[in-house]
Amino acid sequence: MPFVIGEPCIDVQDRACVDECPVDCIYEGPNKLFIHPDECIDCGNCEPVCPVSAIFPDRAPRPGEEHHIAANAAFFESGR
Amino acid sequence: MLGGASDQVDVAIVGAGPTGLYAAYYAGFRGLDVAIVDALPVVGGQVSAMYPEKVIADVAGFPAVSGAELIARLEEQVQPFAPTFHLGQRVERMTSRSGAVDGAAGLDLHTDARTVIGARTVIVAGGVGHFSPRRLPTAAGLRAEDVDSFVTSLDPYVDQDIVIVGGGDSALDWALMLSPVAGSVTVVHRRDRFRAHAHSVSLAQKQGVRLLTRAQVVGSVYDHELEAVLVEHADGSRTTEPCGRVVAALGFTARLGPILEWDLGIERQRHIPVGSRMHTNRERVFAAGDITTYDGKVPLISVGFGEAATAVSNACRVIHPEAPLFGGHSTETTTPVARSVAVGEVA
Repeated sequence: MPFVIGEPCIDVQDRACVDECPVDCIYEGPNKLFIHPDECIDCGNCEPVCPVSAIFPDRAPRPGEEHHIAANAAFFESGR
Repeated sequence: MLGGASDQVDVAIVGAGPTGLYAAYYAGFRGLDVAIVDALPVVGGQVSAMYPEKVIADVAGFPAVSGAELIARLEEQVQPFAPTFHLGQRVERMTSRSGAVDGAAGLDLHTDARTVIGARTVIVAGGVGHFSPRRLPTAAGLRAEDVDSFVTSLDPYVDQDIVIVGGGDSALDWALMLSPVAGSVTVVHRRDRFRAHAHSVSLAQKQGVRLLTRAQVVGSVYDHELEAVLVEHADGSRTTEPCGRVVAALGFTARLGPILEWDLGIERQRHIPVGSRMHTNRERVFAAGDITTYDGKVPLISVGFGEAATAVSNACRVIHPEAPLFGGHSTETTTPVARSVAVGEVA
């Protein structure tokens, strides 16, 4: 039940979320950030600090952003 | 305190979050004596570290309660049973005692403060692990004794110049709390926007709290005692701010750490598998709350409370094999209840 980073992060990568995450589970990809679904403790601290509101819980994806949940998991399965 | 046959407690609880505190209450209710350990200097675990101001709406009987209020209530509930608190200590190792020599079978918890807590049973209510406050960069040169990560009493701040580092709710709440008694309060925040409620920010300004944004504490000035801190601003300029005490409200990190090494069969680096008695794969060791996993697990505070009662009841059977699993209802016993309720809040 992790949080997921969606579309608005692409090419922004502000990293405010990285500073906030208590378990360091946010990783940098080629053009956006990703939350590790097994490491995320679902605390929600990252969500309000994102300047582009890119972060949402996977149980309530925003319309049109559902694919980021799978993309997020795939990012970590591919071994980065 | 040395562990061993003579002074071992019935139940040692690892973790003083909501589940651990309720387990301590319920063990007291069952007539067991309790020690409870937590790495943080305050009780409340994840709730105190991360959500003291957030409103929780899914705890039975509390339509809306702040994290801090819920923890205060749990503390009040357990207080008649006076468990021994070992706060600010992290349990590093858990060793088993067979009791072959002295007949006192159980476990010893070894903390990083070199305390050994002897216990007949252990309940691991470790949540997502131990929380540690984020520290200021060592380059700032502040001595540990001049920096707090929680404000627990106003006394150390009276008439002092206080610098609070951080931009969240805790930073602003503490600024509001301290500004009436402190000589001065300055909040230093790295970003240009505060995460704290806008209302707290404007209230702080009205109370005369100085708010420095896009600024960082980069150094300190000592003349025997802390006199000032050096603050670097976004344009690269530096100012000297009078300061006798620093509050670092920079948030916390959580790590499961040592619990991973306790042979509890941890899954995915995170969860302890438990059975229906909340028992783990180690004799005399139970678990409850967010750290547990089983088929159908739901990670909620209310579920943690139920698991705590189950774990304590089954631990009680290990300690007193003749005792019933179910200890009766609190309504039918003469066990102590917290004072504020006893004087009539319920009536």
